[in-house]
Amino acid sequence: MVNAIELRGLTRWYGKRRGVVDLEVMVEQGEVFGFLGPNGAGKTTTIRMLLGLIRPSAGTATIWGRDAWRDAPAVHRMLAHLGSDPGYLGELTAAQTLDHVAALRGVAKGAWRPLAERLELDPTVQVKKLSRGNRQKVGVVQAFMGMEPLLVMDEPSTGLDPLMQREFLALVAEARAAGRTVFLSSHNLTEVERACDRVAIIREGRLVKIATVAALVGDHTRSMNLVLARPAAPGTFDLAGVTVLSSTGQDVHLMVQGDVNPLLRSLAGLEVRDIAISTPDVEDLFFRYYDGSVAGSEGRTAAATGSETSVEMRR
Amino acid sequence: MTWLTFRLEMRRSRLVAFWMAVIVLAYGGIIAAMYPILQENATALEDYMKIFPEELMAAFGMTGSLVDPGVFFGTYIGSMLWPVVAAIAAIILATRPIASDVERGWADVALGTPLSRGSLLAAAVASQALVLAVLAVATVAGVLVIGRLVGADFDVGRFAAAAVVLWLFGCAVAGVTSLVGAITLSRAVAGGLAAGILIMMYLMNVVAQVQVDLAWVADFGAFKYLLTTELIDTGTVPWTSVAVFAVVAVAGWASSVVVFARRDLLA
Repeated sequence: MVNAIELRGLTRWYGKRRGVVDLEVMVEQGEVFGFLGPNGAGKTTTIRMLLGLIRPSAGTATIWGRDAWRDAPAVHRMLAHLGSDPGYLGELTAAQTLDHVAALRGVAKGAWRPLAERLELDPTVQVKKLSRGNRQKVGVVQAFMGMEPLLVMDEPSTGLDPLMQREFLALVAEARAAGRTVFLSSHNLTEVERACDRVAIIREGRLVKIATVAALVGDHTRSMNLVLARPAAPGTFDLAGVTVLSSTGQDVHLMVQGDVNPLLRSLAGLEVRDIAISTPDVEDLFFRYYDGSVAGSEGRTAAATGSETSVEMRR
Repeated sequence: MTWLTFRLEMRRSRLVAFWMAVIVLAYGGIIAAMYPILQENATALEDYMKIFPEELMAAFGMTGSLVDPGVFFGTYIGSMLWPVVAAIAAIILATRPIASDVERGWADVALGTPLSRGSLLAAAVASQALVLAVLAVATVAGVLVIGRLVGADFDVGRFAAAAVVLWLFGCAVAGVTSLVGAITLSRAVAGGLAAGILIMMYLMNVVAQVQVDLAWVADFGAFKYLLTTELIDTGTVPWTSVAVFAVVAVAGWASSVVVFARRDLLA
């Protein structure tokens, strides 16, 4: 079966400035694929190449076998797109905007109304009078109003309040249930964890890891912030599965993978003023991948389909 | 899809079209209302005009008696109102679909659909041509209608033909501006460059008229071809002007389509 998305050696340079380098990503039909990375990592560059808005310096981006740059209009019949801050025309109302985009996409007139009601969007307001969050709602409605088999979204929930973020995740789940493929870029690990089947992590334009969400965040990895009464003795945290991300003496930021008991025993001997344990954010994961367990900063990717892909890292 | 985009572009242009049409109608009407006064005082006016050097008068289109409809129109409209109106309208309209919409992100939304870049720009070009036609007609209509009402002997057919020349001049400006917009993808840069080029060409035309040994510099400017005086006074169609403006407009727009189709649209 042809993959929904195939990025092969996808590279983009802006003069001497790096966009993305040598990306190898395959997104299977019907999966929700997360594309994670901090700002400036190359997520938007990748999505713009997928949309045929910019041309790769090397490599190819194909959607169901069709070149995203050369066959852009044909490719766009198969996808719906949502940017992180859509540049809608301020003078149009949300309804006029949605009607126009629906007509361009061949979506039935008014098909967006149930979605607008669900997201509590007032379609009669001019876009320029909408808040950032409400503008993003217009974008979410626009993305989901059709039945294109592929949804490409660039940080789609930015600006949405928690209730609407939940609604957004429900829409993604419904799209997946309907057999649609979703390519979702984000720097919000929680969102990706809830929505995605597989995740690619990109940093500084290079692929760091591709894995199932379960493999990525379900491996008992936790981020731990400690405030100690006094600095711990050297070697206190030299334990299996424990990585010190930063330490100012009394403030210590750790990553813990696997069994936490050795660390708890070590902490029992310390005077701990405060402790916070959380699911790691993307940055934590990056630090982890750039540190001991995976050495190197220059990633080279292997084949990217399947449940988990090993990524060889070189520094 | 092109029709949908054309409709949207027209909708976005309606304020510019409306207010500029009001301005040119009002200005043309007021100027035309003064035409009988010029006729009644033709001798005194000509004596007064003799004070000024001929070259200077020629530089601003006053080559003959202001009582001649062609000279009258060329002086107040062809050399004064229309270049300003056409430049403003053309720059606003022609920098919008590419440069401005890429900057604001609307191009991403529109081109994220099956709409091709060529269709998007074709629709925009059609709307530019239509709005400029409306403005050219309004400009001529203001003079013609009020002129006829106050008893001026203005020839409808010749004034209509003059509107075509004005329109083609506007299209040429829009075509070149569109191309600069496609190259720079910046509304400010494209608008600034287009305005700068027009001002430079206007000055070149003035200098060429004042300084005889520099007459050749006018050949490189658009204003040498913005000729309506002969057309209105004698009915002689300035085919060279028509051809030059039409070729520049079509070449500018066509090139902008080609450039836009190959251009990276950076966020």
